[in-house]
Amino acid sequence: MSHIHIDVENVSFSYDKGREILSGISFHAAEHDSVGIIGANGAGKSTLLKLLVGLRLDFNGTVRVEDIPVEKGTLPQVRSRIGYVFQDSESQLFMNTVREDIAFAPRNYGLPEGEVEKRVEQALEMTGIAHLKDRAIYKLSGGEKKLASIASILSMNPDILLMDEPSIALDPKNRRNLIHILNSFHHLKLIASHDLDMILDTCRRTILLSGGRIIRDGRTEDILTDKKLLEDNGLELPLTLQGQNRID
Amino acid sequence: MDTLAARDQWVNHVHPLVKFIVTLCYIAAVVSFSKYDIVGLAGMAVYPVAVFILSENSFLDSVRRLRFVLPLVCLVGICNPLFDKSTVMLGGMAVSAGILSMAALIMKGVFALMASYLLIATTPAETLCCAFRMLHIPRILVTQFLLTYRYITVLLEEAERITQAYALRAPGQKGVHFKVWGSLAGQLLLRSMDRAEEVYESMQLRGYRGDFGYMRERLSFRWQDGAYLIFWLGVILLFRVVPVVSVVGSIV
Repeated sequence: MSHIHIDVENVSFSYDKGREILSGISFHAAEHDSVGIIGANGAGKSTLLKLLVGLRLDFNGTVRVEDIPVEKGTLPQVRSRIGYVFQDSESQLFMNTVREDIAFAPRNYGLPEGEVEKRVEQALEMTGIAHLKDRAIYKLSGGEKKLASIASILSMNPDILLMDEPSIALDPKNRRNLIHILNSFHHLKLIASHDLDMILDTCRRTILLSGGRIIRDGRTEDILTDKKLLEDNGLELPLTLQGQNRID
Repeated sequence: MDTLAARDQWVNHVHPLVKFIVTLCYIAAVVSFSKYDIVGLAGMAVYPVAVFILSENSFLDSVRRLRFVLPLVCLVGICNPLFDKSTVMLGGMAVSAGILSMAALIMKGVFALMASYLLIATTPAETLCCAFRMLHIPRILVTQFLLTYRYITVLLEEAERITQAYALRAPGQKGVHFKVWGSLAGQLLLRSMDRAEEVYESMQLRGYRGDFGYMRERLSFRWQDGAYLIFWLGVILLFRVVPVVSVVGSIV
C-alpha cells in the first residue's frame, strides 16, 4: 500500500452535546484518489475536513494520515503532509503581500531560501497570479484571494490536498484554471463542495453526506447522475447534466 | 501599518532587534525625566522627528492613525493642575507646578507613543516577533503579541462589515441606533474571535510554531545596524544627561 493515504474509522463528532454533526463516518482514501465530498448545508463536509487535519481533536473514532494517528502529539507530522484550503480565504491569508504569504509555509518548514523562491514562483505560475505577487493582501478581490490561498497551500508541496469550497468567488475562467490545477495534482485530494459540476470534472470518487452520515460512497458518475438520490439529500443534478436532461 | 512597514526605506531595513532596543531605551529615557523637566523632555523630540524624516513617514498620518489613543494620553495628567498648586521657577518665571507636570506627562506619553508607532511603522510584525525571540522572550508571549496585532485588523474588518450591513438595511439613519449597540457589539466580538481563531489555525497548518527560525537567517546583522544602534544610544544618552536645549538656548 502506498504511504499516502487517509483512514477514517467510525468517527463521530459534535460541537456540543446536543446534536451530532458527524456520526459513524468510515472511509479509506489512497494515493491518486480524488474524492469529492458533497452534501447539503450542514451535512458535515467542512467539519469532516477539519477533523482530518486535526483542527478539532475531540472526536470519537480514529483518523490516520499516512498511518499517523491524528492526535495532539502528532499534529506537526500530520500537518506537514496535508495542505488545507479554507472555505474563507480572508482567514487563511495573513501576511502583508501575496509573495510573503505563499512563502510562509516553506520558510516555516525550514527550506533554504532558494527553494522557497522556486516554490513561490511555481505556485504563482500554477494559479496564474504571478502578476499579483507583490500586491498587498487586503487589496485583492475575493477571487484573487481564493487563488492566493490555493497558491499558499501548493507551495507546501503537500502529499494530500484538502479543499473546502475551492470554487467559491472564482469567475468562470479562474474556475476552469482551478479545475486544471486540481487535475494536475496527482497525490490524494479531498474536495468538499456544492459545485457539483466541478466535482464531476475533478473527482473520480464521491462521498455523499447527509445529517452527518455517509449516505453513499462510490463512483462520481454514478452518484451525480442519480437524480433521486441527490434530491432526497437536498441536492440537485449538476448543471451540465440538467442541460442534457432538457435536451433529452 | 503593514504596508508602511513593508516599504523600501532605509530605516525599514535596519535590524528589528536594533530598532526595538533603541525604542526601549528611548522610552526608558523619556519616562525617567523629572515631572517638571519639560525643557529636557523637549530635547527628546529629536528621535521621533529624525525617524519620521528618515523613514519618510507622515506625521499627520500618524496623528490620524493614533487619533483614538492620543486624547487618552493627553487626559492622563489633566487633573494635575488641580492637585499640584505649588509654583516652580522656569526660565526665571514662576509657573504653576501642576501645569508643568501635566505638560511633562503629556510629552512623555506622546513621545513614547510616537516611538512605538515608528517602530511598528518601520518593522513588519513578523520580524519584530523574531527580534523578541532573539531576546528569548517566551514563545507564548510572542505569539500573543502577533495574534493581538492580527486581531486588531480582523476586528476592524468585521466592524466595517457589520456597520455596512446595518447601514444598507437602515437607509437614512445616521449612525447605529443605541438599541442595537449591544447585539452588534456581541456579534462583532464573536465573529472577530472566530476569524482570529481561523487565522491562527491557518498559521499552525502552515508550520507556525511560535518560532521564527527562518527569519533569523534572513536578518543578518550588518555594520550599519551597529552604527545605528551606537548612534542613537549616544544621542539618547546625550539628551538625557546633558540639558542640550538649555545649553543651546543659553548660547543663542
